[in-house]
Amino acid sequence: MKSLRPIQKKLATGLVAGLAAIALTACTGNSSDDDKADLGGGTSQAASGSNDDAGDKVVIGFSAPAADHGWMGSITQSAKDVAAQYDDVELRVAEGTNDVNLQISQVETFINDKVDAIVLLPFDGAAMTPVALEAMKAGIPVINVDREFDDPNAARVTVLGDNYGMGVSAGKYICDNLNGKTDAVVAEIAGIDSLPLTQDRSQGFKDALAECDQNVDNRVAAEFTVESGEEQAANLLQAAPHIDFLWNHDDDQGVGVMAAIQNAGRDEFTMIGGAGSKNAMELIKSGDSVLKATVIYPSTQAADGIKLARLLVQGKSMSDLVEVEVPRTVQLYAPVVTADNVDQFIDTAFQS
Amino acid sequence: MSQDSVRVERAALETTREPNKGLALLRTSMGRNLGLVIALLLLCLVGVITAGDRFASTANTLTILKLAATIGVVSIGMTFVIIGGGIDLSVGAIVALSSVWCTTVATQTMANDTHWLVMVFVALAVGAGCGLVNGLLISYGRIVPFIMTLAMLASARGLAQIISDRKTQIVDVEGFADFFNREIVGIPMQVWIFVLVSVVGWILLNRTTFGRRTVAVGGNTEAARLAGIPVKRQTVYLYVLVGVCCGIAALMLVARTTTGSATHGNLYELDAIAAVVIGGTLLSGGRGTIVGTVLGVLIFTTLNNVFILNNRSISEQELLKGVIIVAAVLLQQRLASRNSNA
Amino acid sequence: MTDALLQMNGIVKDFPGVRALGGVDLDVRAGEVHCLLGQNGAGKSTLIKVLSGFHQPDDGTLVWDGAEASFSTPAKAIEHGVTTIYQELDLVPDLDVTENVFLGHEVSRGGFSQRGRAREMVRALLKRLGHEEISPTRIVGDLSPANQQIVSMARALSHDTRLLVLDEPSAVLDQQEVDNLFRVIRGLTAEGVAVIYISHRLEEIRQIGDRITVLKDGRTVGTGLAVADTPTVDLIKLMTGRSIEYVFPPRPETAREHDEPVLEVRDLGLAGVFTGVDLTVHAGEIVGLAGLVGAGRSEIIETVYGGRRATSGTVTVDGKRLRRGSVTSAVHAGVGLAPEERKSQGLLLDEAVYRNITMSSMARFSRFGFLDRAEERRRAAELTASLDVRPDGVTRAVRTLSGGNQQKVVLARWLLRDCRVLLLDEPTRGVDVGARSEIYQLVRSLADRGVAVVVVSSEIDEVLGLADRVLVVREGEVVHESAATDLDEARVLDLVMEGKVPA
Repeated sequence: MKSLRPIQKKLATGLVAGLAAIALTACTGNSSDDDKADLGGGTSQAASGSNDDAGDKVVIGFSAPAADHGWMGSITQSAKDVAAQYDDVELRVAEGTNDVNLQISQVETFINDKVDAIVLLPFDGAAMTPVALEAMKAGIPVINVDREFDDPNAARVTVLGDNYGMGVSAGKYICDNLNGKTDAVVAEIAGIDSLPLTQDRSQGFKDALAECDQNVDNRVAAEFTVESGEEQAANLLQAAPHIDFLWNHDDDQGVGVMAAIQNAGRDEFTMIGGAGSKNAMELIKSGDSVLKATVIYPSTQAADGIKLARLLVQGKSMSDLVEVEVPRTVQLYAPVVTADNVDQFIDTAFQS
Repeated sequence: MSQDSVRVERAALETTREPNKGLALLRTSMGRNLGLVIALLLLCLVGVITAGDRFASTANTLTILKLAATIGVVSIGMTFVIIGGGIDLSVGAIVALSSVWCTTVATQTMANDTHWLVMVFVALAVGAGCGLVNGLLISYGRIVPFIMTLAMLASARGLAQIISDRKTQIVDVEGFADFFNREIVGIPMQVWIFVLVSVVGWILLNRTTFGRRTVAVGGNTEAARLAGIPVKRQTVYLYVLVGVCCGIAALMLVARTTTGSATHGNLYELDAIAAVVIGGTLLSGGRGTIVGTVLGVLIFTTLNNVFILNNRSISEQELLKGVIIVAAVLLQQRLASRNSNA
Repeated sequence: MTDALLQMNGIVKDFPGVRALGGVDLDVRAGEVHCLLGQNGAGKSTLIKVLSGFHQPDDGTLVWDGAEASFSTPAKAIEHGVTTIYQELDLVPDLDVTENVFLGHEVSRGGFSQRGRAREMVRALLKRLGHEEISPTRIVGDLSPANQQIVSMARALSHDTRLLVLDEPSAVLDQQEVDNLFRVIRGLTAEGVAVIYISHRLEEIRQIGDRITVLKDGRTVGTGLAVADTPTVDLIKLMTGRSIEYVFPPRPETAREHDEPVLEVRDLGLAGVFTGVDLTVHAGEIVGLAGLVGAGRSEIIETVYGGRRATSGTVTVDGKRLRRGSVTSAVHAGVGLAPEERKSQGLLLDEAVYRNITMSSMARFSRFGFLDRAEERRRAAELTASLDVRPDGVTRAVRTLSGGNQQKVVLARWLLRDCRVLLLDEPTRGVDVGARSEIYQLVRSLADRGVAVVVVSSEIDEVLGLADRVLVVREGEVVHESAATDLDEARVLDLVMEGKVPA
């Protein structure tokens, strides 16, 4: 029996090493878009004298969290696409990590490199605020995308979706479709709860519902990923045997949510999505699922950030505004998409 | 034949040296670490070739060291646990819980101007506490370390989420940030902390009875027990030690990000184990060095840095990381098996 | 030599730092029992490993059945018909007998395992081995070491064995089982199977062997010696270079029984293993525990030591009662144990000699937790010199020493502590003749210095020669106690086997 010990030791070592290797390499990939979205503009199509005219070279450092869901993947991809359209932009991409420590290190490298501007979608806005402040202090303008820092001095421009507005739109849609029900059962599947943007969305939702005397009866939180969406939705469906309306914050996790709904065989409610993915829109268009509407949360925020960064560094301003300087905050609109207007948005939607 | 000639013949046998001196040197722990140093230098060379001044600058070196510091402190603790024959999968979760608990204390009690040292104390206490629970249940409850620390991984993170209500907790305590973000002779405090922990770890492992007992317990638990070494008590100490290291790492992370969050310490256990393993510590216990772990941490963070500088994706890097781990372990096994055939 | 089944000529095998075999010649004929003799470190194990395909020789030739052959893997060796049964059996404890017997060559048809047929075959093999009482479906881990060895032999026989190598098979067997083993061997040789038999026990070699080859320091110093024609004294001379046989040091003239007892064991029991053990050892006494393998002697001293938790009774050292199940309690009271399996229970094989020696006394070498390694090495070197440990570097890994020297290291550990009580479990197992005498001397001189010694040994003449008083243990009970001089081997065997129910 004693002679097994060396073999056991080898197996144990090999097994854990193998597991470690597998676990470490299990980084979800970025589903690449085959056809680049036409984001408009670019130095090649520049009308003379416009902002798109080639200017001084701009080196932009870009960092976003791990693309473990389609929306985030689209963020990064559209940023890359837009940068490619400009000959005067050199984009340095430090891709995908959910490790705060590592993302800080990425930005520090940008600072060391003395890039001209940094476009940053932080994994956690508050956690990345110190390093953003450092960059600003070093004279590098920071464009904060989507997840806000907690200090106004940490970014020169903040590009946001309208999270509160999203919630309000979803709530209003429900109010408009109550059809006389006095106490509808309303359920909510939120995204990563620790993020202020999720809290904003929930708040908007709650407030809008209050206007028509409704409230959220069941709420769970997923993590924007398909897997977590499926898990949490399954839990929710178990907890609430009857639902009238369901708002899912995010269409990426929505893929999982839909799967859970189908598995449970439930269809007595109306579902509203969020973010505006292509397959959500296709479902809305076809009309034969519970998903009837979604609220757009643009995944082009980073692309806009890149454009704005370029303007900033080249000393230009947004041409259609009177004001000379680039604005501090750009908050993008959150339209509601239903079967009626889906054709308008479906072409620019992101893949889950 | 007389006794003397037997002895002479024996002595003569002894002096037969191994044919390949190089390989023999490689097999000692100094040799293994030398191999790691060479690997690190090669990596730096790649960095210089691909990114020139951007890699070779002081600022970049400090960036690497700052990144290495947090995971490095955790890895030192992990080294002890693994040498002692155990494993700790919960380190990342303990870091998260420590960060949450101490920032909660900061936002609630600090209002009355309590000293920032209270935060430090809380973080260390939480780390030690989790380690104690791990250690006691593993030693006296006889739960297998893999399972126990897996359970702790889930519960600690869950508890962190409950305490923080899944929100990120921002702190701005006077003195705290000043201390941890200060620089001494141009080198950030966080790096100094890593250095200090490494040095203390080295002394502990190589010069004290604690270290000797750890090696004995991991190398042959039964023999250690029968030799009178208090195996159970020693095991508890080891898990408390790594817990304290997690507390220290939590403080460093809170200082770096001004936040405590249940999402901190993401996958730290894998990074720490990886660093310890390629540093030459055997997962089966009984053998390992602090120097090796430090080199392991530096290798991975330098790799990170080279990838960032070259705009390569994280995914490619993770793949390479996996390959490196497997290669390092295979190499270890070959050298180890040659050794035991003597 | 033309009917030699196996011929090994000039086999050389090097390992890093050591030449294990420096030119070994061996020839084995079909149908003979060829005994391999030699001290530990002489190269017997290495030679066997070369023969069974584990190691590749660095030089020399191997001729099998008249044709030059090379056993590059163990599977190749088995294919040719060479099977080896090692001292440390390579069985899988969680599988049953049948699965172990057919490990690697399962009985199957078209990919489906035929359990029923396999079991029948196993039953037949076990019957041939004289152990039909072992059920083919018993889990091997539950069997006694002796029965496990039988399973190992069944596995060997399940291949078409032409040469069977047995490495110290009688180490875990009692007399009856040894007789059975010999019966099986004779049956095999009658069928033309050759057997290589490695053993330290000269009496066994006389009983079963046909010819002898003696190895010393990796070389053949005598081969083809007919068992009948070679006197023991010549064999020992070949093996050791001296003509000393087992010499037991003289006992002290005055019995020291009127001194205060150092170790008092009262009514000690371990549920399911042994009960009602009373044992008293005075300073300067050597008490031996004699009995068959499996009688519970090792368990008794382990329990005394606190390695196992007693379920009844007390252990007192110098009047202080020891805590049950606490080794540290025993060690603090001045008790030391040299365990039965020195490698797996006693030593940190990859650590230096001096660290193994100071393992139990670290407090002595440390201040505020910091160890004085220079002092450790100095004291360790003193001890290794006085115990004549060879080779004498204290910084070498303990793994590099031979069995006897490793045993000395274990003893040195307790000498360092100036123990009051020393418990020795099979102190000379796997130790060559020369080192044995040294160990006997050492034990006696320890006793003379006032240490209370308890020795467990499976070799009856060793117990009788070394101890002052002997306790005979049978199936978990002490059945007899008297002065060693009042007993002889026959009487002890009688006591031990009386009324023994067959397994």
